Amino acid sequence: MKNNVFVTTDVGGTFTDLVYLSEDPATGRQQLKTAKTDTTPPNFEQGVLKVMEKAGVSGEEIQVMAHGTTVVINALTERKGATTALITTQGFRDVLEIGRGNRPDFFNLNYQKPEPYIPRYLRFEVDERIDCHGQVERPLDSTHLPQILDTMRNEGVKAIAICLLSSYRNPEHEISLASAIETLSEPGEFELICSHQVSREWREYERTSTTALSAYVQPVAARYLSELDTGLKQKNFDGRLYIMQSNCGVDTLASAKQVPITMVESGPASGIWGAAELGKIIDEPNIIALDIGGTTAKCSLIHNGEVTVTSDYYIERSPRSAGYPIMVPVVDLVEIGNGGGSIAWLDEFNKLHVGPQSAGALPGPVAYGRGGSEPTTTDANLMLGRINPDYFCGGELTADMTAVERSMNRLGQQMGMTPADIARGIVRIANNNMVNALKLVSVNRGHDPRDFTMVAFGGGGAMHACALAAELGIKKVVIPATASVFSAWGMMMSDIRRDRLQTFLCSWDLNAIDAISHEMENLYRSLEQEFIDDELPRDKTEFQFYGRFRYVNQEHSIEIQLSYPLSQSHLEPVIARFNEAYEQEYSYRLDNDIELVGLHLVGKADVGKVKLARQAQTGRLLSEAIKGERMVDFAEDGRHQAVIYEGELLEPGMTFPGPAIIEQTGTTIVVHPQQEVQVDEYANIVINLTPGGEQQ
Amino acid sequence: MKTQDPFTLEIIQNSLRAISDEMFSTIGKTAMSPIIYEVLDMATAITDADGELASAGSGIPAFVGALDKSVRAILDKYPDDAIREGDIYITNDPFYGGVTHLNDVVLIKPVFADGERIAWVVNIAHWNDVGGKSPGSMSVDANEIYQEGIRIPAVKLFSNDELITSVMDMLLANSRMPDFLEGDLWAQISALRVGNKRIKALAGKYGTATFRDAIQGYLDFGELMAARTLKALPEGEYTLSEPQDDGSELSVTIQVKAGQLIIDLTQAPDQSDSPINISRDGTLLACQMALMGLIGDREMANGGCFRVMQVKTRPGSLYDVKAPGACGIYFETMIRLNDLIWRALAENMSEHLPAGNFSSICATIMGGTHPDTGKHYSIIEPEIGGWGGGPGGDGANAMFCAMHGDTFNCPAEVAETRYGVTVGQMALNPEDGGAGEFRGGKGIVIDYKIRSDNSFVTCAYTRSVVPPWGLKEGHNGTANRIEVIRDDGSSERYAMATGINVNTGDTVRVITANGAGYGKPENRSQAAIEQDLKNGYVTVEYARSVYGFNQSGSR
Repeated sequence: MKNNVFVTTDVGGTFTDLVYLSEDPATGRQQLKTAKTDTTPPNFEQGVLKVMEKAGVSGEEIQVMAHGTTVVINALTERKGATTALITTQGFRDVLEIGRGNRPDFFNLNYQKPEPYIPRYLRFEVDERIDCHGQVERPLDSTHLPQILDTMRNEGVKAIAICLLSSYRNPEHEISLASAIETLSEPGEFELICSHQVSREWREYERTSTTALSAYVQPVAARYLSELDTGLKQKNFDGRLYIMQSNCGVDTLASAKQVPITMVESGPASGIWGAAELGKIIDEPNIIALDIGGTTAKCSLIHNGEVTVTSDYYIERSPRSAGYPIMVPVVDLVEIGNGGGSIAWLDEFNKLHVGPQSAGALPGPVAYGRGGSEPTTTDANLMLGRINPDYFCGGELTADMTAVERSMNRLGQQMGMTPADIARGIVRIANNNMVNALKLVSVNRGHDPRDFTMVAFGGGGAMHACALAAELGIKKVVIPATASVFSAWGMMMSDIRRDRLQTFLCSWDLNAIDAISHEMENLYRSLEQEFIDDELPRDKTEFQFYGRFRYVNQEHSIEIQLSYPLSQSHLEPVIARFNEAYEQEYSYRLDNDIELVGLHLVGKADVGKVKLARQAQTGRLLSEAIKGERMVDFAEDGRHQAVIYEGELLEPGMTFPGPAIIEQTGTTIVVHPQQEVQVDEYANIVINLTPGGEQQ
Repeated sequence: MKTQDPFTLEIIQNSLRAISDEMFSTIGKTAMSPIIYEVLDMATAITDADGELASAGSGIPAFVGALDKSVRAILDKYPDDAIREGDIYITNDPFYGGVTHLNDVVLIKPVFADGERIAWVVNIAHWNDVGGKSPGSMSVDANEIYQEGIRIPAVKLFSNDELITSVMDMLLANSRMPDFLEGDLWAQISALRVGNKRIKALAGKYGTATFRDAIQGYLDFGELMAARTLKALPEGEYTLSEPQDDGSELSVTIQVKAGQLIIDLTQAPDQSDSPINISRDGTLLACQMALMGLIGDREMANGGCFRVMQVKTRPGSLYDVKAPGACGIYFETMIRLNDLIWRALAENMSEHLPAGNFSSICATIMGGTHPDTGKHYSIIEPEIGGWGGGPGGDGANAMFCAMHGDTFNCPAEVAETRYGVTVGQMALNPEDGGAGEFRGGKGIVIDYKIRSDNSFVTCAYTRSVVPPWGLKEGHNGTANRIEVIRDDGSSERYAMATGINVNTGDTVRVITANGAGYGKPENRSQAAIEQDLKNGYVTVEYARSVYGFNQSGSR
């Protein structure tokens, strides 16, 4: 009998990762392999094929491959999408440029708004109107469509976004307009996307922006996915290919091609999903996931095993810029410009800052010796003895410590401090930035971090996690066995997941229950049919409804699970659950009536996940895993002689105290004094912290 | 390692900002009134033990420097030994540290560590109704503050962590919306408690001495930054007089001397019988806002910045109202003052400020019966408009005015459902104006089609007659106004009006100004004009007549 082989590949900004899991169905014996190669822009699929070669994985043995890619976010941030046009309702073509009128950097009187992806001359209007109840107020007039298309052709437009007012209630005009365009154009002449295919939620600016950005990346993403498909087929792959989405699930290739914008945050989403799934395996339902990469740190909160998926997502938003909304289901996360490659710099008043500028992969940290001269967080970690200069990047690089010291010294001279002082300052300030981000996902949302376990991954997660956890009063840190390729590992744990969000404002009472049931049925039937069309049988699928509720006249809504089909006996329990959830988040409850703002349907289908097996013990002694000792600077916790462990030689059941350093191929774990390490039965590194930290 | 190294100080300073932000999000999440959590009509702050602003959390610039003044009012009123741990004070009275108008209620709590006062936490939020002659407490025809609601003159609300119920009862009895009042009050209290807890933990971790040093270092740094900004300005004295829409004239004299910015407003008109006055504290706030606009850095706004500024006012004037002058509609006076100072600085001293913008709150209030639900609806919104061109580029299109910041407008799809009006268009203002080497940004045109009879519109717009000011020979912008287009096609124009009757089929058209230009129009690049024409930001006729544009590129 053939082995079950599940492979995931993840194209990141710097590296392309692979995780391979094969299971012998007869014995249940598993083999887990991981591999890493450089990412290969602009032909990202080349890196995927290369990493398969490196891992010795052949196409024909793979039954399922899940794939994650940064191609969408790259096209957006590097402005490398297609020339795109917009068609919208008469009177609303400027919505994309007006935005919401906000100015986050409010004392900057020279503030410039983010420039729209579609310039005004490529934004066109049609006479039509659907009212807020979804009734046609003015019929669609497509008389001018041929001229509009001619103008588009002359301007080299390749993709068209259609977003009409109130189409979240009734998309019929968008559908008619799209078919009229298809009639009037050559097949393949334009990529076409309507707002109702991307979002069924109100707020015309957010929906228009989402549709515009989706159209903008459509040709690039479609080309990439086709090339990947072809490349894999040439490698004799004939298994099922799934694409990672931002909602923590995967989807079929065809579906991903249709609305590629949903891939926008797939990398972080799979890591966060991995943390949630790992939590299920090791019985930790409450998790703060921390992913520190080269350029940014991302964090997200998992409560009772549930990740939060919202459509409140932006790119390029910061205290300096309003950014661009993308109203698709994205895992709820906070991202800050603080990663291993973040550059430390002095402002004109000699104050030290870390990030958000990053040295990226090129030139990379000073220690790479590829021409970087400004010190980064990674350089500071080397300087402090946390990273082993002789085992840099898993031994693949020799750290240029002379250059690192020189770069620290340059800052040190300006501040009247030693290079070691500067390195310590860099780590402390980077940690402080990350603590503030972690507070945003926890305390600022009514959660006490002491009730959570931190799961840290990405190249830099393990280096900082223990200090951050101590600061927040978190009692346990888990570094997954596959920390350095954790996004790829998380994908292996994913189901097919489709989120359907529908704005449906309605009172929550007996009078409305029929209308709500009707709307739920429509949503359910159409998603169920999609799954059937994709040959995902009913016994492999599950559906869950949520309602977004709020007190009448308030703005903030909270999601509550709904039973389907709905009946009047559900009214009261939902109100009770809403009040409870509201009080948890907002600290009080009201007597007011509640109303439904929208429905959220999640459909999942199992793609044949493999259940993770426990790791065997070989009886190796802990002393065999010890590489030596060295002096390590733990910043606020002082300098200590620390024992250095070879991560690959640790096995389940081993325990030892900090101060310690665990060196693995893709990451280094820094264990502070008074912390205890324990290797669990899946070879995850668990660090227990002495209770303490900030009082909540 | 508990030394006072620069990184520890930096981390404490970062933490103070994070605490202000956490208090801000606490109120935003727990407040009951939409004006608080949607319009962000609120702010939080931490001051040092003596009331100097250490850190502010705010969604809008107009509240950043507000709260140190409230703390000072407590310090003025109560002897040091009367201020104890477990106290919370409350004020809303502009004559007692309330700064703006009676609707804005300030809560103030001293933070103690090891028995000594190390800081204050403060917050302010707009309450829906604090009594007075009209619902909502702000009335355009109030002529004494007594008509604007209950005056809370910096009194104690909590003692020993216990609520003083007699004060609370008086507050509740004076509001038309006591439930909202109570909800909003508790939101503010929970934010104070969070701030108190966090500051104690911070001081506990690093020691109170280090904590104090960090705040003082932060304030000194703010001063250093402000001083550097002033150094870039030429020394001298400049006076600007500007005619106003109502025919009056406002003037300011600004002096830059020995590292100080002295703003002399003593020539201001006498205080008004209408509720457009500002307290001296409110005037300080407007001046500080102008100063921060020069400095330009939101993160660094603290009391240290304000040390380099002196403001002179005349008691009994518009900018230093004496009791019982009314202040309910202070905001247009404040934005006019802020803009006046900005203009004086831009025309005479600074090379970094942009030309004038639409510069009005453009407060728009509409109400009537919701045609779908039969319930009363009311829209209360500030509008967005065009900003001026500046040394760096064209002015921004459609943005909130200088007093507002991270404020969001209401989407048409939400407005249609919530208010039962039809939004006919939401477009950039197509009028020409604001030409310059860098042209003004576009204002907006919004059409609200009324769907029920006996609805009303009230508006308070300035810059409706006297347009946004051009800079360095840039042209002026256009005018803010409301047009009511009747069902029969006739139309009326308004800027300051109360209770205009509108009926089904009428359209209320909000038009906000295009910002003014910066630099001579003839210096605008050919490529920029071609882009403007292609995008329809200017008309061909305008490009020809003002920019001297022709297709061949020779001008």
